[in-house]
Amino acid sequence: MSSWLDYTINGLIVGNVYALVAVGLALIFGVSRLINFAQGSIYLVGAYVGWVAVVQLHTPLPLTIIVVAASAALVGLIIERFGLRPLQNSVRIAPLLATIGISFVLDQLVMLTFSPNPRALPSQLPDVRFQVGGGTIGPLDLLIAGVGITSALLLFVFLRYSKLGWAVRAASQDRDAAMQMGVDVNRVNQAVFGIAAALGGVSGMLVGMYYNQIDTAMSLQATLKGVVAEVVGGAGNVPGAVVGSLLLGLVESYGVAVFGTSYRNLFAFLLLVVVLVLRPNGLFASARQAPPEPLTGTFIAPSRPMRIPRWALAVAAAIFAILPLFPVSFYVLQTLINAWLLGMLALSLTLVAGTIGQVSLGHAALLAIGAYTSALLSLTFSVPVGLAIIGGGLMSAALGTTLISPSFRLRGHYVSIATLAIGEIVSLVILNWEGVTRGPIGISGIPPLSLFGYDLISPNSIYWFSFAVMVVLALLQGRLLTSHLGRSFRAIRDDDIAARAYGLSLNRYKSLAFIFGGFAAGISGGIAAHLYSYINHETFNTQQSILALTVVILGGLGNVVGAILGSVALVGLPELFRIAAEYRILIYGIVLLLLVRFRPQGLLGTI
Amino acid sequence: MTTSAPEPLLTLSNVNTFYGQAQVHFDLSITVARGHIVCLLGGNASGKSTTMKIILGLVKPRSGEVTFDGASLVGLTTPQIVRRGIASVPEARRLFADMSVRENILMGAFVRNDREAIAQDLDRMLTLFPKLGQRLSQRAGSLSGGEQQMVAMARALMSRPRMIVMDEPTMGLSPLYVDRVLELIRTINQEGVSVFMVEQNASLALEIAHEAYVLQTGKIVLSGPARALKDDPRIRDAYLGGSEAA
Repeated sequence: MSSWLDYTINGLIVGNVYALVAVGLALIFGVSRLINFAQGSIYLVGAYVGWVAVVQLHTPLPLTIIVVAASAALVGLIIERFGLRPLQNSVRIAPLLATIGISFVLDQLVMLTFSPNPRALPSQLPDVRFQVGGGTIGPLDLLIAGVGITSALLLFVFLRYSKLGWAVRAASQDRDAAMQMGVDVNRVNQAVFGIAAALGGVSGMLVGMYYNQIDTAMSLQATLKGVVAEVVGGAGNVPGAVVGSLLLGLVESYGVAVFGTSYRNLFAFLLLVVVLVLRPNGLFASARQAPPEPLTGTFIAPSRPMRIPRWALAVAAAIFAILPLFPVSFYVLQTLINAWLLGMLALSLTLVAGTIGQVSLGHAALLAIGAYTSALLSLTFSVPVGLAIIGGGLMSAALGTTLISPSFRLRGHYVSIATLAIGEIVSLVILNWEGVTRGPIGISGIPPLSLFGYDLISPNSIYWFSFAVMVVLALLQGRLLTSHLGRSFRAIRDDDIAARAYGLSLNRYKSLAFIFGGFAAGISGGIAAHLYSYINHETFNTQQSILALTVVILGGLGNVVGAILGSVALVGLPELFRIAAEYRILIYGIVLLLLVRFRPQGLLGTI
Repeated sequence: MTTSAPEPLLTLSNVNTFYGQAQVHFDLSITVARGHIVCLLGGNASGKSTTMKIILGLVKPRSGEVTFDGASLVGLTTPQIVRRGIASVPEARRLFADMSVRENILMGAFVRNDREAIAQDLDRMLTLFPKLGQRLSQRAGSLSGGEQQMVAMARALMSRPRMIVMDEPTMGLSPLYVDRVLELIRTINQEGVSVFMVEQNASLALEIAHEAYVLQTGKIVLSGPARALKDDPRIRDAYLGGSEAA
């Protein structure tokens, strides 16, 4: 029985750490109605600043905590001032996308500075364990609990008794009214970001000490866990965030006890999806309370799409079609094949995020479903590759739409969170469902592309095949957009209440959009599987989802030609300038930030 | 009430406001004299509330001048304008629903730092609005509409403003509370605070106002001393949209 007490202690300690992240998220959400996706990056910065302090500067523990809190707060202030304040009058989702861009940039900067290899972060505390009841507890556990409780008390005193704390509370309840009392909302934002970042940074350091290891992959996981805890507790609800965090810590700890470590994250995301679907306002929101905001507003900047004459498109397509007949290098063809595969994913996302306005952050899951289906069909059931790929597309359409359907009733930011969680769930199911997906080993020996019995092995044939598939999908989607169905999609995006009042069934149209989008993405994933010949649960990850989002914003949301142009630009330009792989993610993050700030309508304009 | 016009405290001159392509105000000019109650009347979508937002700096006019006590307000942020001495009772009251009544009233003194005087002013509010005394520790969101209006007015007074702007202070209140609110506005005014109020209910507003303006689709179609306007048939025409009123 002693182990159960240990799991409980472990759950509460981990929950304490999540709480430090989630409370910051809740404060920020309260004041700005923003889910700060850069929170995990600040946590990462905190961990590495802690490493520098402990390992290189040999600071004593109290000083380390102060240094970490101060540096993280500084990063938070910079993010608020230069990343978010300029977007105040922008559409609602713009700051959210900006925080995604900022997190890419920060994570990459940390990785470039410290290398992606894990490092040890010693806690400087004596390694003893005390017997408590049937379990054991160590000094580090006590430190984490102490930091958690102290922070909660300090925060309570700040919010309840200080003038700035009152301003924070007032602004989070009614921003305009607070301004009319003389509250400077920018200062409130600054305070909130500074506090959130300090807490997040200290949390990252404590986690690093707890596991005696830090690495750059911590960032996204921390953001996700914090978001889960915050949404479970009720977005913007600070005490709720604490309870949500402890709950999440316990659920994970018991889950690991029963099922094993690789299931840890699965519980977090399942909990999130269940809460979002059943109680979107969180567990502690009173029933009469309205959702924090309608949170409508996709990232559609009003613009007039650039009209490209048909003949110009035809000429461009013809040039790309005959390109392999000229003496171009294998390298150029390879790059363009990647662009066409990304283009199919972008077509899918531009339809879902642009045309019908559901900003999906988990689109890579659709690739993964298509890839695994096609790979397994051809390997296990010897289905011809051409058919297997179509099977992948169909499976992606069906399964993707089914998985995403619980989130159809959500709006705005919540759609993004739910799709992100569903994407993670797909990847975790692939990791854990060994009987079908072969688990962490992945699938190797996937047969190469073939069509009607002819293997497509030469670069030219692969190029033509992928280009042709993409063009067909693009033409279909272009046709769709000009049809009655396309108009209905845009009506739902622009005003879902009005659309419903006119008799449009939101669920049916969202399903149709995801079916079409799922098919295109699944085909892309299927082709990729046969090209790579090996795939595993990490082949299609969140980075790809965000890359696809950057592509479609670059091209202009909803814009079919823009999606393809964006793919060619984002795949091709880094190749053209021979930018080393580790700098590419950094560049994608910067591109996303610049677009959100200066050209939200993208290159070709939104449709 | 004096009949001679004292010096102006707030002036809007030739203000033109746009929401995107749509023009909301056409060369709007309004003057609020020191110590007076001025009301802005008009139907729906006439631009009344936007006028209030212009004064508070929540909406920026495309052209025109807004001055308070001789100094321009154009380009100032809302908190800066509040610090100049303008307090507001927003439309639908906009209390901080999850904060207590006491905290709401004290939020009104956010721009002040004189603790003791603030405490005295809180007591003064409880004599002015005796009902709030028993409600101090309640959540503001749990009060009735009329009580919330009292809190909103107390909150506005706590900044010791020279002028209060009110957006439809009687909207949605029971007749009993309407009279009480009007009476309070008069009391506040007699203590030296100028009042600019936006109202739909013309007959009520004209009873307590010194001057009134009638706004119709962004243009002032009628203005003058309230007593003169009370019996003016054109008031009714303006409300019914009669074009000959201009």
